[in-house]
Amino acid sequence: MEFLNPAALYAFFLLPLLLIPYLIKRRPRRLVFSSLLLLRDLSTSASGRPWGKLYLPPIFFLQLLLLVLLILALAEPVLSVRPLKVAVILDNSASMQALEGEKSRFELAREQARDLLGGFSPKAQVDLYLTVPRVERVGREALAPGEASALIGTLRPYDLGEPPDSYGEELTGLAKEMSYERIFLLTDHPVRGQDGVIRALSMGRSKENLAITSFQITRPSFASTQLEARVEVTSFSSKEERVKLLLKGGGKILSARTETVAPRKSVASSFEGFLLYPAYEAEIEARDALALDNHRVAIPPASRGLEILGISPRPESLDSLRSIPGLNLKMIPPGAYEKSRSRGHSVEIFHFSAPAILPQKHALFVLPPKDNPLVAVGGALSRPLISGWREPHPLTRYINFALFRPSYARSLKALSFGDTVIQSPEGAIAIGLEQQGFRYLVLGFDPFPYLGRENLPISIFTLNLLDWFYEGPDGSSTGTGEPLRLRAPTKGGILVTPKREKFPLDQEQESFSLTFFQGIYEVNRGEEKEVLAVNLRDARESDLTNPAPIQLREEPAASGSRSFFFTLWPYLLLLSILLLFVEWYFNPPATQS
Amino acid sequence: MLPAPFTPDFLNRLEALRLRTRREFLGSRPGSYSSPRRGTSLEFADYRRYSPGDDIRYIDWGIFARSDRLYVKLFREEVDLFVYLFVDASGSMAFPSLKEKFSPACHVGLALAYVVLANHDHVKLHLLQGSAALSASPFYRRRHKIMDCIDFFSSAVPGGVLEMAPVLGEHLKRIRRPGKAILVSDFLMPLSSCQQGLNLLRALNLDISVIQVLSRQEIDPPFPSGGLLLVDSESQAELRLRWSGDLQREYREMLERHNLQLKSFCHQAGIHYSLFVAGEELSKFILETLPSVGLFK
Repeated sequence: MEFLNPAALYAFFLLPLLLIPYLIKRRPRRLVFSSLLLLRDLSTSASGRPWGKLYLPPIFFLQLLLLVLLILALAEPVLSVRPLKVAVILDNSASMQALEGEKSRFELAREQARDLLGGFSPKAQVDLYLTVPRVERVGREALAPGEASALIGTLRPYDLGEPPDSYGEELTGLAKEMSYERIFLLTDHPVRGQDGVIRALSMGRSKENLAITSFQITRPSFASTQLEARVEVTSFSSKEERVKLLLKGGGKILSARTETVAPRKSVASSFEGFLLYPAYEAEIEARDALALDNHRVAIPPASRGLEILGISPRPESLDSLRSIPGLNLKMIPPGAYEKSRSRGHSVEIFHFSAPAILPQKHALFVLPPKDNPLVAVGGALSRPLISGWREPHPLTRYINFALFRPSYARSLKALSFGDTVIQSPEGAIAIGLEQQGFRYLVLGFDPFPYLGRENLPISIFTLNLLDWFYEGPDGSSTGTGEPLRLRAPTKGGILVTPKREKFPLDQEQESFSLTFFQGIYEVNRGEEKEVLAVNLRDARESDLTNPAPIQLREEPAASGSRSFFFTLWPYLLLLSILLLFVEWYFNPPATQS
Repeated sequence: MLPAPFTPDFLNRLEALRLRTRREFLGSRPGSYSSPRRGTSLEFADYRRYSPGDDIRYIDWGIFARSDRLYVKLFREEVDLFVYLFVDASGSMAFPSLKEKFSPACHVGLALAYVVLANHDHVKLHLLQGSAALSASPFYRRRHKIMDCIDFFSSAVPGGVLEMAPVLGEHLKRIRRPGKAILVSDFLMPLSSCQQGLNLLRALNLDISVIQVLSRQEIDPPFPSGGLLLVDSESQAELRLRWSGDLQREYREMLERHNLQLKSFCHQAGIHYSLFVAGEELSKFILETLPSVGLFK
């Protein structure tokens, strides 16, 4: 026999508390009586009772028995059987690389899984699962416990964060779908709730950790030749930490700095004036549990210029952009967009036009037609006043909005989501949004042609938006688990991962999805070489002090579920009534008066 | 103002009663109680040889005719009675409250005093208290003095520890005339103490009656089950015990045994004994119970 909720057995330590009411009751009530002459004789005869000074009535033992049974029931005893169809799920997320003494959590999980498998019947069928990038079976066929034990040795953790959803429903569904008699989940997350099929085994203790949560190599503007590195270090520690921060490039230390990080806060540090290298690495010298998040990689922006594809029925307006240094513009009519969409430009400007689906590039929409996928276009406005704007925002900096008066505008309303950047009394006239790593800006007015000093507010806004597109949201690296976007291939090549694994690339392959490890991915296409940075972006994996708990059961408050107390209440009611009757029996009201 | 139980009807019925004495006392005035002396009542007592100077109206001529000797008839002298009413005013008489025990005890005393006053006899009230100052009234005679009796009892505040023998001894030092003593108390004290006190009264050649007054709470204590710290109302002594149904039963048995021993002693000593449970009807106790034990004629 075993207990599904063994923590409830700790309630046995609380049983002595049951004595408290009796000790309180024992404190005598003070009553005045006419004469104690006769009672004095009674007192001497009563003191010779077997229970001494503490009087424990029979109901105490009944209450004790009921409490013991209640605690045992809360511990959920089950008769142990050796299951024949079993799933062993190993959490292989990044946090499982954290060290517990000399061994990592994943190694501990492997050892525990082997111990579990050793206790199974030789006839048992075992399915091994890993949790990231998704809960997926390892191998196609069920394994014998011995085979599974051998296979576990080959498994390794990935530099991936876990999906935000709880495992609870997924594992319950898996148990039903695959008819598992038992599922063992070995994870470093605390587990709440158990049930008869799913057993979660939690390992690892709370540990303090420091992590680089952001590392970017950028240019201050698209016309700039200088590089700038920005590193953000976050403390998942309860005390102030001093940390040495290194910027590396080409295997050499380019710069070093010591920063102080407040408990559970972040500190950002910038480096400037370093040489150009194909890839950079930021590193903190910290002896914490998780080494993975102590370094990050980044690559510099691919080029100093901004390649723009303009799609407009009035190309002459956009042509004025060519006067801006570092900007390469290619104009096409709207009808030719489908043919040109996969070319090597980084920003698309839709001028009085819009595509049927959102482009997988940064894009500017100027006065889009009504059938665009982003906004609903409202009525026409003549020289609208600006009543509000987002501040601080890269798009609105340096602009004097008192002078910002487009001659013609239309109000906009976001169809799904989007931030209003510039607001007129009649509605938004500029809406920005970020989606899947791309930035989109919809304007209800036409900032073109670019007039330079002749219309400073609009010109500054134009330069701001070009800078905004140029920066991109952390565009210099990809998160682990996200597909790497490859340049438009001209011929096949080989992709080399940070673990030095090589994957051949097809001619038409646009992306590579097996980005399970953090580091530099190299794409070799003959003489052409491309480097791509992949980093762990899930800060929850770095937080070893407060990992998200896994809820295997729904909370009692969840609708449609029978809560724990809901199932127990008839028994509790019965127990109460029984206690009442017993109390009545032993202490009838006549003697209580 | 008379207390509530003293209705006109009850007073009328009290006036019909007379205290009964087992002894003859020397009174001070003619009354209705026999005296050891010969007097002029209608009740024949004896014969005596005639001697010169005797009133010839009392010569029994029948005897002279038969025996040729002169004898005169002697008659009993009937005198008034002196009654001493002792009421226990110790702390225990105030339990559970004055109204529930001491007042009923005083009402019994007042009823007896009224019977005495209505018969033109003398009554003197004594409060038995542990304090040094003795509390006793003067002799009252005639029924209008009942108001003084009421005032006397109204001014009494029960309290303190009562050692019956010494306190009674102090009161008895001031008694000059023999008569009837009626003691009203709860007698919740060691039996030896009660006996010593009653023996003091016997030694003074008083005709004694005892009325024990107990409250219902003393007969059947309403204690809650469980641990109790009981405090003696007189001595403030404390006693811890765990109260239960069994203990309550035991207490009742012990109280009955105590009362029985007291009653037995009284019987042997020729003392009228009766028990009055506070809360019972006073008229029933005075008019039915006390005559049945021989306190009234």
